[in-house]
Order: sequence, then structure tokens, then C-alpha cells
Amino acid sequence: MEHIQHTPARVAKAPTRLLDGLQRWLPKLVVAPTFVLVGIGIYAFMIWTGVLSFTSSSFLPVYDFVGFDQYAKLMDNDRWLTASVNLGIFGGLFILCCLVIGVVLAIFLDQKIRQEGALRTIYLYPMALSMIVTGTVWKWILNPSLGLEKLMHDWGWSSFSFDWLVNSDMAIYTIVIAAVWQASGFVMALFLAGLRGVDSAIIRAARVDGASLPRIYWSIILPSLRPVFFSAVMVLAHIAIKSFDLVMAMTAGGPGYSTDLPAVFMYTHSFTRGQMGLGSASAMLMLGAILALLVPYLYSELRGKRHD
Amino acid sequence: MTERSHSGLRPSRIAIHAVLILAALVYLIPLFIMLITSFKTPMDIRTGNLMALPSEWTTLGWSKAWSEACTGVQCDGIRGYFWNSFKMTVPAVLISTLLGAFNGYVLSKWKFRGSDLFFGMLLFGCFVPFQVVLLPMAATLGKLGLANTTSGLVLVHVVYGVAFTTLFFRNYYVAIPDALVKAARLDGAGFFTIFFRILLPMSTPIFMVSLIWQFTQIWNDFLFGVVFASGDSQPITVALNNLVNTSTGVKEYNVDMAAAMIAALPTLVVYIVAGKYFIRGLTAGSIKG
Amino acid sequence: MSQLELRGIRKTYPGIAEETLKGIDIDIASGEFLILVGPSGCGKSTLLNTIAGLESITDGAIVLDGQDISTMEPKDRDIAMVFQSYALYPTMTVRENIAFGLKIRGLPKADIDREVARVADLLQISHLLDKKPSQLSGGQQQRVAMGRALARRPRIYLFDEPLSNLDAKLRVEMRTEIKKLHQRLGTTIVYVTHDQIEAMTLADRIAVLKDGELQQLGTPKEVYDTPANLFVAGFMGSPAMSFVPVTVARGERGPEAEVRGEDGRSLTLPLPDYLADRVGQRVILGIRPEHITQPQAQKQDSRLVATGAFTIEVTEPTGPDVIALIHLNDTPVHCRIDPEHPVTWGESAELMFDMKKVVFFDPETEQRIAPH
Repeated sequence: MEHIQHTPARVAKAPTRLLDGLQRWLPKLVVAPTFVLVGIGIYAFMIWTGVLSFTSSSFLPVYDFVGFDQYAKLMDNDRWLTASVNLGIFGGLFILCCLVIGVVLAIFLDQKIRQEGALRTIYLYPMALSMIVTGTVWKWILNPSLGLEKLMHDWGWSSFSFDWLVNSDMAIYTIVIAAVWQASGFVMALFLAGLRGVDSAIIRAARVDGASLPRIYWSIILPSLRPVFFSAVMVLAHIAIKSFDLVMAMTAGGPGYSTDLPAVFMYTHSFTRGQMGLGSASAMLMLGAILALLVPYLYSELRGKRHD
Repeated sequence: MTERSHSGLRPSRIAIHAVLILAALVYLIPLFIMLITSFKTPMDIRTGNLMALPSEWTTLGWSKAWSEACTGVQCDGIRGYFWNSFKMTVPAVLISTLLGAFNGYVLSKWKFRGSDLFFGMLLFGCFVPFQVVLLPMAATLGKLGLANTTSGLVLVHVVYGVAFTTLFFRNYYVAIPDALVKAARLDGAGFFTIFFRILLPMSTPIFMVSLIWQFTQIWNDFLFGVVFASGDSQPITVALNNLVNTSTGVKEYNVDMAAAMIAALPTLVVYIVAGKYFIRGLTAGSIKG
Repeated sequence: MSQLELRGIRKTYPGIAEETLKGIDIDIASGEFLILVGPSGCGKSTLLNTIAGLESITDGAIVLDGQDISTMEPKDRDIAMVFQSYALYPTMTVRENIAFGLKIRGLPKADIDREVARVADLLQISHLLDKKPSQLSGGQQQRVAMGRALARRPRIYLFDEPLSNLDAKLRVEMRTEIKKLHQRLGTTIVYVTHDQIEAMTLADRIAVLKDGELQQLGTPKEVYDTPANLFVAGFMGSPAMSFVPVTVARGERGPEAEVRGEDGRSLTLPLPDYLADRVGQRVILGIRPEHITQPQAQKQDSRLVATGAFTIEVTEPTGPDVIALIHLNDTPVHCRIDPEHPVTWGESAELMFDMKKVVFFDPETEQRIAPH
């Protein structure tokens, strides 16, 4: 190069040094607010709740250590028992139905359907609604006198009776129906994305080998979507354990406490019944349940990523 | 070969279409019922049935829901709460998205010792059931003088939303080659210049994802609203629930449905206008997580 | 034009026990085209990044024109780099891409425009200035990436495998282009590649790296003709040099060694005189394909030429030559034969061994045995 024009950047020395020092700290400075917010808002508060669960706190926090009293009380509490059983029923059915419906819809949509975009939009819109809205609507649809029952009677099926919403044995299933309606489209979207990621050469190769389409899906494609399956279960289980809004909107835990879920139990005892210690203990058990799911999941995820 | 198998599959293709269309109807019917009920008169509701169109279309339910319906003791309709939700959602969405963008930038392009651990902490934060932080948060908001205020709710939504927004941006920026940042550093650009001049102009899609996801989440939230707000500061979801579950007086289902529609409209509109980004947000959070 | 010294560069990554760079010493003269070559993971890209300041060094010093720049920020080093992925800013036009570094350094608009025009002219990309990178072909993106580096008139240019994303034909074209550019501008260039042909054709000097250690530093001819050790010998050249273990014997006219073909026939190869003191020892004979050819009358008169018949196992016509495979002492050996002189696989053919340029290695140290 004929003449080198030295750019001015190289001239300044001392101020640059100072700026460089700042530059080095900038990344940490920028994430610091989040670090503080999350450190307190999640981790410190988690510990705080843990501490409360070992106290006899009622309306106000009292820091007297009572050991596992609250947990023992919880185990003897009928309402908590009901809530746990309900979570089992609700969670199990909810996850199962969402998976079946989601997978079937995804596979069907993957068959080069012309209106795929529109259908996908329709299947997924409930996910954009608040659970309170969903609950309100389904509460109306399942209304024992004016809802579905009346519709069937009007349409000539006069013996049809549907009183699940006010039947303490069946009310939990109405919540399953509404929740599945809301979330199954999400599973569809997950699996459709997964299906689109499958190498089409595999399908062609299997066809050349003479496999039928259902067989290809069942024994080649679905097994390859295991990771999608796991993350779907993970997210659905997470929704189930946290489920609160839907119950509040549809049954508020009733009739009686027949549709209580742990989240509802925690809310009621902590904020309306003044049993903070018991509420904290129930929250800690919910955390435990999520951890029991999360730790193996994250472990397998991270182990998988190590191999990259 | 392919052609023949296609024509052979004709009946099964019809079955597939039938199932898909039936499913679409099942998903749509609740919306349809909500809509027609909201335009019915109370009389119509008692005499007609769920699927019957209104014999007389009226917006009475809508106006009553908006300005007269009782949500607990007060009977001013849900309009105040509707604006509450906006006042809470807009700042919370903007702040959490902005924080998430910067965090994602640092956690992907300016890693430091411990940054991966920090990211792991955030990731875990996405999964924690909020029940476990409710009581301490309520106490803290009280101490800060933010209990039952919109600002308090904004703070809460930022704290528990920033993990998701960080995840979005971090995963987006990780896919952008590091060489771009290196090139910019050699060109003389610093931390903020690289972000604002190089990465930000490329970030429109992920900003849309984050804004829309956060908007939907925060607008639709009920738990934080019901726990941390009371009376005048409640968001729309809490007001809707109060309205629907108020045990006083005659049930007016047209008002309930109109109120539900009002509460649902903002997120529905966002979904219809920018559904693509909403779906990306949904899948990004769970697949790449 | 600037001169760069790398003094004992060491680099250790936290959590990794083995050093990535184990003390690299290279002096790069002003205007020199230095190529760092080696297999992937040898540390060549890390070395380039440390020169740029994108990675810190654990020990040693980087001295540019007499000034230690080891701890300077990349922006203050006045070094430009061309990346393998080009790293063009996707949201900026070609013009903005080239101007970005100048703008940040606060040059006046008129100067920037003039500089962009000069560079665009030099690289023949003036018609692309208002396009976005995504609208360009791979070759055009490559040119823009070089333009961005040239615009700053930095003291040193770094190239990180700049041609490896191009298809074969374009790669050869751009190689010529880069060579012309260097000859015209006389800039100091440090260029990383894993392609030994690129290294041979472009470099003033080649630095061969392996496992973070400098194996050899020399002109392409030195590295090719007198490789420092077995690794360098095997790495440079295609088809690769063949290595035949032999035992040095005393012949009537000097040292010699016997090699045996697949069919049991043997040939006594004359060895250069400097191996006289290795009589009775085993050495590794490194022979390149071009040293085993069809018999050529004009070369036969030398002492260091021998001819014998061997069974041809495979033939690979490449156009200008036919590469034939034979076995010597149970080792596969490539020969380069004139296509006009047909050989058939499975049959025996007369081959001429030109031992003048053959090199020898100590089997223990793997170092080349130097003539003395």
C-alpha cells in the first residue's frame, strides 16, 4: 500500500484504557438488573416460602420453627388429598387427550392439505385466550339447564342429561374438557413442527422398502419425534400442576371442594383462609412435583447437548 | 407409482379431510356460542338454545358488560379493568422484552465466567410454579408500597417474564454467527454499537415473538392479578371472573359472554394479525428450551 | 506496510488441560504473505484470533512495528480480518458494509465515499454497492468481505480460510485474485487455510502447525522439498508423499537400500552419500509420486537413478498424469506416470526411481535426516 493513513483511533491512549475497562464490565452490568430481580424474585422467595412452610404462620408470618408440622397437617388434610387425586386425574387425562388429539391432527395436517394454514390457525387460537375466558365459555356451554342439555333436548334427544358441572364426582372432567380444548392445538403445532423437521429422504427410503404410510408413521417417524414428545409432556404437565385460572372460572373448586387442585388449595389457604404455613407447605410440594419432572428432563436434555 | 398410490388413497383422504374439518368445528363452536350469546336478550337465552341464532340481535349485553355490570360490590362494568390491563400490560411487555434482548445479547455474544450458570438459573425460573413465590412477593410488594397498584403488577410481570424473553433472544442470537460480532469489533465497534447497529436491525422477528408472547401471557394472567391487586387496580381477567361468579341477582349470560369477548378481543386480534409469531413463541419456548 | 512478530505465543483455555498454542515464534516481514496451515484443531485459527485481539494470549507477546499490542483491544490494533463465513452485516448494503469501520472511526463523509469507491473499483464490485449481502453470490460476498478489510487500510490483513466456502472453480479464480491483489498492494498478510494447494500457490512463507506447535516455517519450496518431519512431509503435497521403511546398506558406489515389490521381485535403490554413516540402520524413505515415473532416457545417467519392474495395482488417470499404485516393502506407494506411456493394472511395468529429491526420516524422532 502506497501511503498508510493511520486512523485516529490509534492515537488516544489514556481515555481509551478507561473506556476499555468499562467495556469489559458492560456485559455484566447489563445483566445485573435481571440477576438481582431473578435472584430475589425466584430464588430468595423460594427459600422464603420454604422457611414459612416450617412455621406456624397463619394470617401473618411468624418465624417459629415447628418442623414438619405443616406437612404432616397437609397429609391429614382431606382437601389436600382430594386436590392431589384431582391433579392425578386431571393431569393424566389432560396430557393423554392433548397428546392423542395433537398427534392425530398434526399427522393429518401433514398430508399436504390445501387449507393447512387456515386449519392450523383455528386449532391454535384457544391458546391465545385467557383461561378465565375459556372457563367462562365452557361454564356456559356445560350449564346444566340452559346449555348442552337444553340443546340436545331441542334437537330431539329428550333423555339426554348432562350435569357434570354440578356433580361433585364428575365436575373435574368438565375442567379436563375445557383444558384439552384450549391446549391440544398447541401439541398439534409442536408435532407439526417436528414432522416438518423429519428428513423426507427417510420416508422415501421406507416407501421404496414397501412400507405403508401408517406403518411409516408408526414405526419410523413418531419414534424419531421422541424429543418433541418429551417437551410436550413437560409443558403440559407444567400447565397441569400450575392450573388455577380454569378451576377458578369454572367451578371455583366446587361443588364443595371436589374440583380443588393443589394450586387452588394453595391460594385459598394462603390468601383467604389465613393459613400461610399450610399454604407454603403445599407450594413447596408443588415445587417438588415439578422438580421431580424437571430434573430428569433437563438432565437428558443437557446430556444430549454435550454430544454436539 | 406415487400417482397410483395417491388415487388409491382417495377414500382415506376424504376421511382425513372429514376429521380435520370436524375438529375445526369443535374448536370454533365455543367462540361461535360466545359470540351469538352475547348478542341475545336474556329472554332469548331462556327460550332458545346454545346454537340458535338470536331471534333479535341486541348489543345490550355488550354495553352492560362495558359500563354497568357488577363485579363484586361495584357496578361500573369492566371498562375500568380493561384499561387497567392495558396500563399494566404495555409497560410490562416493553420492559421485559428490552431486558430480555440485552440479556440474550450478553448471554450469547459476550459470555463471561458464570454466564452459562446464570442462563441455567433463568431457564429454571421458567419452570418454577409461581405458587412458591406468591407469599414472599405479596409481603415484599407491601413493604415497597406497591401492593394493590398497577406498578406492582408491572414489576411482578417483569420479574417472571424476563426469563422467557431472555430465552427467546438468547436462542435467536446464538444462531447468528459469532464472526459478525468479531468483524464488528475489528471494525472498531463496541458493546452497544454492535448491538444497536448490527444485531438489533436483524432482530425484528424475535422482537415480534417476544412482544406478542409477553402481551398474551400478561394480558391473560389471572393468578398475579387476583393475588396482588384488589379493587380498582385489578386487571380484566380478575374482573371478568368476579362478574361471572357474582352470586347476587339474576344470571345474565349475554353480559357474561360479552364481557368474556371483551377480555378476549385484544389477544384474539393480536393472534389473528400476528399468529405466525405467536406460534413461533409457543414452539420456541418448548423445543429449544 | 507493517512487520509483525509473534514471540512465544501460548494459549490455554480454562478447563482444558492441554495448551492450544504451545509457544509459537514467527517473524513476519513487512509485505510478506504468510500462510498458517495445518489440520483442523491445530490451533491456526486460534493463533489468528489472538493476533486480531479477539482472544487473549496466556503468555508471550505480539509485537506490531515494534509496539507490543498483546493486551490491546481489537479496535485499537488496526488489523482487518476476512472471515470464512464472510460475516457481512446482513441488514446493511454493500456500501454500508464497507463504510462501517470508517464511519465508526469518525472519518468525514467525503473521505468515506472516496475510499469506498476506490475499494469497489479495485475489487470490481462497484455495480453491487447498493445491494444487500443476501442478494449476492458466494464469490461476490467474498469480494465484499475483502473490500471491507481493504477499506480501512489496516497495518495487517488476516484471512481465516476465506475461500473454503466457495466451489472449486471459483476458489481457483479467487486465489489468483488474492495473489494479484497482494502483489499489487504489497500488504502484510497472515492467511489461515487447511488447503495445502492454497498454501503452496499463495504464500511467501508457510508455517505448518500441528497440536499447537510450529512444525516448520519456510518458503513453499523449502516446505515441499525439505519437509522438517514426517508430519509436514505427509501434509504437504497431493497425492501425499509415500513412506517406505528401508535398511541402509553399503554398496559399491555408495549407500543403497533394497526394496521388495508385491510379487517378491526386488530392486536396489541408490541412496545419497550423506546416509553413509547410517549403514545398517533403518530409515524411512519419503518419496513423492513425481519421483517414480516411466523410464526417461535423459535422467538415466545419474548414480541416483534406478529402474526396476513392479506390479501396478491401481491406476487413476487425472488427465495430465496417471497416478499408479504399487507396493514397496509392504507399503503403498504412488507413482506419477505420463499418460502417453500406458500402464495396465495387474501387470508389471518398468519404473524409474529418481532418488535425487527423495528425503529420509529417522524412524525414532520422525525428523528429516539432514545432509551434512
